[in-house]
Amino acid sequence: MNAAIQVSNLSYRYHDGTEALRGVSFPVAPGECVGLLGPNGSGKSTLLLHLNGLLPEKLGWNGAVQILGQSITPDNIETVRRQVGLVFQDPDDQLFCPSVEEDVAFGPQQLGLSEAEVNARVQKALAQAGLAGFGHRATHHLSHGEKRRACLAGVLACEPSVLVLDEPTSDLDPRGRREFKALLREIAATKLIATHDLELVVELCSRAIVLDRGAVVADGPVTELLNNEELMLAHGLERPHILRHQHPH
Amino acid sequence: MIDDWIGHYHRHRDSSVARLPAAFKLGVALAMIVGTVLAPPTAVGWFAGMALLLLVAVALSRLPLLFLLKRLAWLSPFILSVALVNALQPEARGSWRAVAVKSTICLLTIILVSNTTPFSRILRVLKAAHVPGLLITTIALMHRYLFVLVEEAERMRRARASRTFKRQRRARWQALSTVVGQLFVRASERAERIYDAMCARGWK
Amino acid sequence: MHIPDGFIDGKTAATTALLSAAGVGLALRQVRRRLPPRRVPLLGLAAAFLFAAQMVNFPVAGGTSGHLVGGVLVAALLGPSAAIVVLTTVLIVQCFLFADGGVLALGANIFNMAIIGAAGGYAIYRIVCRVLPGTRGQVAAVAFAGWCSTVLASICCAGQLAWSGTVAWPVAFTAMTSVHMAIGVGEGLISALVLLAIQRVRPDLTSEVNGGEPSQPWGELVRYGLLAALGVAVFVAPFACSWPDGLESVAAKLGFEHKAVQSALPAPAPGYHVPGVRWAVGATALAGAVGAVIVFGLALLLARSLVPEGEGDAHLTKP
Repeated sequence: MNAAIQVSNLSYRYHDGTEALRGVSFPVAPGECVGLLGPNGSGKSTLLLHLNGLLPEKLGWNGAVQILGQSITPDNIETVRRQVGLVFQDPDDQLFCPSVEEDVAFGPQQLGLSEAEVNARVQKALAQAGLAGFGHRATHHLSHGEKRRACLAGVLACEPSVLVLDEPTSDLDPRGRREFKALLREIAATKLIATHDLELVVELCSRAIVLDRGAVVADGPVTELLNNEELMLAHGLERPHILRHQHPH
Repeated sequence: MIDDWIGHYHRHRDSSVARLPAAFKLGVALAMIVGTVLAPPTAVGWFAGMALLLLVAVALSRLPLLFLLKRLAWLSPFILSVALVNALQPEARGSWRAVAVKSTICLLTIILVSNTTPFSRILRVLKAAHVPGLLITTIALMHRYLFVLVEEAERMRRARASRTFKRQRRARWQALSTVVGQLFVRASERAERIYDAMCARGWK
Repeated sequence: MHIPDGFIDGKTAATTALLSAAGVGLALRQVRRRLPPRRVPLLGLAAAFLFAAQMVNFPVAGGTSGHLVGGVLVAALLGPSAAIVVLTTVLIVQCFLFADGGVLALGANIFNMAIIGAAGGYAIYRIVCRVLPGTRGQVAAVAFAGWCSTVLASICCAGQLAWSGTVAWPVAFTAMTSVHMAIGVGEGLISALVLLAIQRVRPDLTSEVNGGEPSQPWGELVRYGLLAALGVAVFVAPFACSWPDGLESVAAKLGFEHKAVQSALPAPAPGYHVPGVRWAVGATALAGAVGAVIVFGLALLLARSLVPEGEGDAHLTKP
């Protein structure tokens, strides 16, 4: 069976020449939930932007990234963007429509669906994100947690098979975090979550990849990696409390 | 800074006026404004009629009176200037009183409409009126992000002010210009991310 | 300078609306053709930016403060056509959301601030940039163009008020122009400071071809110039010209003073004949001309004081 995501030797340089990604390679199996960890500046966000063809600016024909067995090329970019739902780091960047309803409807509308289908998808996505009844609310007046859920709804409305999230729980209060985690757990898609929230990774993910200065430095089962204190500290991370307290003293 | 303009905009209260369709309200408002502007200064009947209509609408709209009066006061420097300059001339052209009445009627009309109609509905009417799509998109994005940027500017200004110990005007101007400049840079970078977010959901 | 409804009459509103519609239509077409899709959200964000920037109080004296209008600034950053779209957007939102500026007066406000202010100011900016190279040149150009655009826009505004019969031309012109010559200093100064602040952090944003505009925007500037000229011909020239005055004095000499001289254009205000007022108009015009020279000099000094020698010469604007 094809990997849901297959990254092979991906490298990328910024405009000013600095290397953002160096030979990154890893697969993600369908249905898997993988955590992408790394210190600030390690290239996590840049890597995620490659997964739906937003980077590189000029798409080649022999992409280093394959989604559901297909290389990302200028030809199939639209299909890829339908299959890969990317939730951005700053919800204000993603919620660019004035009302929640309009924003969640954006994706289905771009897909060319009929008005009835768009409405159906919007209601379903809002329910999935725990925002039933929020349709008429103005995006600007939502709380931070609600904004994050609205972003998720907007992406779910496109019914992607792969969900890629960039720091989904940052800036959330503990309740918001718990609610978001519960939502993610319910979603059946393949998930790749870039995050600093190590507890989230332990609770949701089966596998973790550690990125540092643009290169993959570790890739393996979550408990194994995150319990490796030396590895964590060496790459700007730490052993999460949740694992510490599981250890018999 | 935020208090300056937040008085210009009132969050919606439900009222019979608020429930009227946007196109109807805009149409009526336009008719009232055009009629008032074109009316000769002697058309007292028209002005009285408009005033009555507006008073009824104000009552039905349940907008706070103090808010309305404050907004109408925005006109006062304009009216005062016209009155003043016309006073400098013995044979004044056009009575300033007519100008005062007309502008008050027109302003109250638009205040009522804008505060009882969600902006996105107004935008829909503009779109139906064949305003070009690119302009509509730009207006929509501006409306979406203007509060975001105003708050960002306020946060930056406060952060700057916390570290500005010189009271000289020059230092403050430098600090404020840097804030404004930084605001543009951030707006520009945000615009790029919005583009990415739009493309990520299939925008072409 | 947002004109409320009721201050300009029907014919002025209609004429300015037509001119503005043409100008905005041209600008939209130009932007659609030239702006890379990547930059489309930037139009909306620049409009939001301008709105937020206009709220910033720059303390002047006592309780007064200066504010940026930003037409020339946005034009320097994004090009004249994008600037027209951005300013039009700001004016529309201010009108329909905050009731700032009249609905029928939108045409006049757009004409004054977007077409005359931004596009006209941009033309001056480019001319000065051509003469003075480097960052210093840019800073001086933006400062001078900012002042000019404020003054020019106020002259048009005065013309519109006069043509509507709200305020007599000599008084409108004298009052508005003298006030805006002072306000313009703030506009030029703030625009220059902000442009420099942006240039220091992101020089790529202040270099040429940012808004997808070609290095040679003269073609479209000529079109905007024509619209501006039309507007000026209707609102300003008849007042600024002395021929109606001369005509009346000739008629008086020939004994026709009892016959009203009917002209398609409105006659100048009766107050025009008051020697004091006429003198004021002439003095203001002279002050404007002298002021322009002085402000240009000040702009050069400003640039020199803000930009150290040699900075930004690598980012020379293309001529």
